[in-house]
Amino acid sequence: MLVIFLKRTLWLVALVAAQMMVFNYIHLFGYATPLPYVYLLLLFPLDSSRWSVLLWGFVCGLLCDFASLTPGLGAASMTLTAFIQPLLLRAMAPKDALEDMQASYHTLGGWGYVRYAAILTLLFTLTYFLLLSFSFFHAIDLAISFASSWLLTLVLCLAMEKVRGREVKSEK
Amino acid sequence: MRALLDFIAKYHHWMLFVVLEVVSLVLLFQFNHYQHSLWLTATTETVSKAHEAEASVLRYLTLGRENAALTRRNLILEYNLAEATRQIEILSHDSTGTERLQADRMEGIELIPVKVVTNSVMRRDNLITISAGAADGVRQEMGVVCGTGLVGIVFLTSEHFSIVLPLLNSRSHISCRLRGSDYFGHLVWDGINPLYAQLDDIPRHARFNIGDIVETSGFSSVFPPGIFVGKVEAIGNSDDGLSYKLRVHLATDFTALQDVSVIAQQFQPEVRELEHQADSMLAH
Repeated sequence: MLVIFLKRTLWLVALVAAQMMVFNYIHLFGYATPLPYVYLLLLFPLDSSRWSVLLWGFVCGLLCDFASLTPGLGAASMTLTAFIQPLLLRAMAPKDALEDMQASYHTLGGWGYVRYAAILTLLFTLTYFLLLSFSFFHAIDLAISFASSWLLTLVLCLAMEKVRGREVKSEK
Repeated sequence: MRALLDFIAKYHHWMLFVVLEVVSLVLLFQFNHYQHSLWLTATTETVSKAHEAEASVLRYLTLGRENAALTRRNLILEYNLAEATRQIEILSHDSTGTERLQADRMEGIELIPVKVVTNSVMRRDNLITISAGAADGVRQEMGVVCGTGLVGIVFLTSEHFSIVLPLLNSRSHISCRLRGSDYFGHLVWDGINPLYAQLDDIPRHARFNIGDIVETSGFSSVFPPGIFVGKVEAIGNSDDGLSYKLRVHLATDFTALQDVSVIAQQFQPEVRELEHQADSMLAH
């Protein structure tokens, strides 16, 4: 239990630090800003209590908000995504999946994991950009920013999962 | 109780979700300038619309009383008109005299009918919001009247709404006179009773009686002369004893104000400009 908590804390610190020091400064073509700290929520296994996912998501979003000087923006988006994550994982997990199953390329299958990550990152990025702009006044700019940021976030999450998967394999 | 505890235990993650979202949104709207201004704009618009809807309902419900006041006012005016016509006929035997007199008085004056959106009488400094703004031709320092008498002066305007500084405000000082004489003073409110105001600075040698009519003096570009304000209820002395202080029973019932009119005088901007020029010349 303590090991899991420490591992998650480590992921939280690493993702927030990466967002603060690297990803906040990336604005590809003036539109795409990656927000890969949502990856923290992809790590929660099937048997996680829903309140713990909510709290981890909220704290992660809030820390990134304070680093980006946008209080509440990431926290609101992460909390909503954290609320949906257990439902989505339960819906996408195989019928014979173990209760402590963690989403990965191995457990959900390559295409299954991509779909899982795509839906969660889509939900998070969409909420984030809607709260950020709060109107459809510049609808085309908003759509381009949202779509490019989502794709960039998704690619980064998939890459991180690939690296994590290899390390888990080598540990075994 | 047990059912409640079971319910909370079963749906605790829902409650936590709502709490965390509320905290996040409060932070978002409180500490981000853009979202904060959008929130303020949206709430102000919504509250104004709600007040307007509420005022519409109340207006509809009090139409009967409003109608009675208008009828009463109309009767008084009809009587005054008949009396004035009779006097002019006696003096000049000229049947077109009244029409000419009225036309002369109303020349250059336009009345903009508006609805009262919000109103208060309980504070020391009351304000009234009306449903017309700059887009409707309402400007600062225009006079506001209702069917029964004087209301106040336009204080602030936005595109579609305006704030009126009514008589029931400590900052309101309106020049008024006693009908049929040239004695004038300043009408102020003591902040106690919305039915009464005080007419200060009436000279000691003035002759008048309880029940005399108080009307606007016309000594400013805001109100034309002769607008009914109220009646003298009691006579007292000013604090320094050098003039009279009259207690005036106001004709306007501020507690049931619904329909008012803004007075747009054609030459008001010109007069005000001239007054400003004179002030600045005197200051130098």
